[in-house]
Amino acid sequence: MVGTPVLFIAIPLLAAFLIPLLGFVWKESVRILPGLVLLYLLYLAVNLMGQVAHSGTIVEVIAGWAPPWGINLVFSPLTGLLTTLMILMGFIIWIYSYRFKNIDFREAVKYFILLLMMITGSVGIVLTGDIFNQFVFIEITSISAYALTAFYKGRDSAEASFKYLIIGSLSSMFLLLAIVLIYSQLGTLNMADIADKAHLMKPGFKILALIFFITGLGIEAEIFPLNGWTPDAYAQAPGPVGAAFSGIVVKAGVYAMIRVIFTLFDVSGTHQFLIIIGMITLIIAEMAAVKQDRLKRMLAYSSIGQMGLVIVAFGIGTEEGVFAALFLMLNHAIIKSLLFLSGSYLVYNSTEKYIHETDGLAKHLPITSFLFALGAIAIVGMPPFAGFWSKWSILSAAAHSNMILVIVLILSVSIIELVYYFRVVNRIYFFPKQKEVEPKRPTINALIAMSILGILILVIGFYPDSVTGYLHSASQSLLEKGKYIQDVLSTGQLFIQ
Amino acid sequence: MKKILVLSLLAVFGVYLLEVLFKIDFGHQFFLHGVKDFYLTTSPDKMGVANVVTAIVVNFRGFDTLGEVTVLFLATTAMSSILYKGRHQLGERAVLFSSSRIVMTGSKLLFPAIILLGAYVFIHGHLTPGGGFQGGVIIATGFLLMLLSYEDYKVSHVALSLVESLAGITFASVGLLGFLNGGTFLQNFLPTGGLNNLISGGVIPIIYIAVGFKVGAELTGLIYTALNEKD
Repeated sequence: MVGTPVLFIAIPLLAAFLIPLLGFVWKESVRILPGLVLLYLLYLAVNLMGQVAHSGTIVEVIAGWAPPWGINLVFSPLTGLLTTLMILMGFIIWIYSYRFKNIDFREAVKYFILLLMMITGSVGIVLTGDIFNQFVFIEITSISAYALTAFYKGRDSAEASFKYLIIGSLSSMFLLLAIVLIYSQLGTLNMADIADKAHLMKPGFKILALIFFITGLGIEAEIFPLNGWTPDAYAQAPGPVGAAFSGIVVKAGVYAMIRVIFTLFDVSGTHQFLIIIGMITLIIAEMAAVKQDRLKRMLAYSSIGQMGLVIVAFGIGTEEGVFAALFLMLNHAIIKSLLFLSGSYLVYNSTEKYIHETDGLAKHLPITSFLFALGAIAIVGMPPFAGFWSKWSILSAAAHSNMILVIVLILSVSIIELVYYFRVVNRIYFFPKQKEVEPKRPTINALIAMSILGILILVIGFYPDSVTGYLHSASQSLLEKGKYIQDVLSTGQLFIQ
Repeated sequence: MKKILVLSLLAVFGVYLLEVLFKIDFGHQFFLHGVKDFYLTTSPDKMGVANVVTAIVVNFRGFDTLGEVTVLFLATTAMSSILYKGRHQLGERAVLFSSSRIVMTGSKLLFPAIILLGAYVFIHGHLTPGGGFQGGVIIATGFLLMLLSYEDYKVSHVALSLVESLAGITFASVGLLGFLNGGTFLQNFLPTGGLNNLISGGVIPIIYIAVGFKVGAELTGLIYTALNEKD
């Protein structure tokens, strides 16, 4: 027994409260402590994953009250996988941002507290088994995200952050309304309990709660009409924060939405709705990405598009489809973070971050350019890199469900994707360098962080079997709704005081 | 045309919303299977807490409260991160007109009373209405009064962040101490004491006092940062 799931929340919170105090004693500790915390949590996550594979879902009760009455955390193959992924990405992003830009001590305190809390909030969204507790964690994540978006304190970043703040508050309002509606009908906030009793809700309430949930969580998950904040926030936030958005925060939003649709309510037609809305998101985002002339905005639109694809894959609804969606979430987290991390060194000294400013940088920044190219090739789905396997499994899942139109659309959108990524790679490698651009050599930590991601892409690309086992058990655990309810509600009996 | 379309869409949605919301029969016995009865009976009987709301906020849903405290902590961190300009750029406060001697003396007299009231509210959180959040806000209003009536009133940033951090650490550590005796996170590990006594309810008063200090320090810090922001 190395620890329990609650430590994923308690330890970082303790560290966040401790960071300002430690700063008085030893300034460097402010930068080191988050890394130590994340490293320990990674160790814990890997250990618990082994335990879950061996003896089944861990349900942890908090404050000693059985699930319908108290709050509980669920560490299942699915939530465990996402937690491990988020902590891993968080740790890599910490390595990268250890000495990113020359921020002074007081700024570093804020930066590391906010980054650590954004990761913790996302992990909390995934782990919790209580709908209101999830709302609290969504608040924690979003407030850190607003502040990190505005971290450079420029005019544009303030605008982006403000936009995100307004849309994000709207999202919280919708979520709270949905939770109130559910509580007014069932008198319970526990997800398993709600899923168990959902048939007692009047249909009108159920549909309305579902609409509010999809609207609220759709904002976090970057679904099409609700993602107006995304390109601005990604483009204005510091590089590592952009990577954390696409690698951690969006994943938590998608998870929350999928949990509501797959576990909480069984409303017929939701899956078809997911396919349609995901398809629209995919197509519109990829078309917008082609038109961008700024690197980070292009990456942001590509991120939205990939999330659309994830939603489509979830919408297919079969075990194969869910597997493909989770695989794509994993790959996208790794690859898009690599693109953001290497991309932000390609446009390091530029204020406007235009794509043409990366011309010919391959000679000056060979490793960064190589890693960016690797990420670009992997994300468009070239074999034998990581992205290929996830796209392949989505296509085969669609084929087995006879969704020919979906396959045609995904393939044609992939061509668009190919065009805009290869345009950038082409510029980096084969165009003459612009004179006024001053390339900035990445620091050693940044190189280490990016290399780890590059190696992960290669490992998953050549040995997809290394992760597929976990992904299969995760997708089964999402689809086995009865088992989830039983797992959670049966722990209850043990703990009544 | 576009406006008419939007308005009619909104109207359709609004009618649907009203239709559903009017069906909630508040005040009736409409939770058939809810958790409320358990809360109402357990809080006074087994936990020795007279204020059921406090029992729910700090114990049954204490994890949420820990989250909410963190949200507040993040909000102050975020605000000071965005407004932070470096020491040399910090200006004097903009003052429209200075306060009169009556206001100044009156505030000085009121200030200790306000702090005392705030402390009373959060120390008695498990007995009477109110608690850590409310008490903390009352304390912050005391500091606001002083800041408004004295132009050169200084609050030490170091002291504020010390109080803030220590209170947060207390909350999280009390949570972790719940693991003692094979319990769970945030579980009560102290004797519950008699109902309606000041020392009762196990860890609930400790957590609420920590919350009170934390909220007080954070809101004071927010006001102070906002007042000294000069642009």
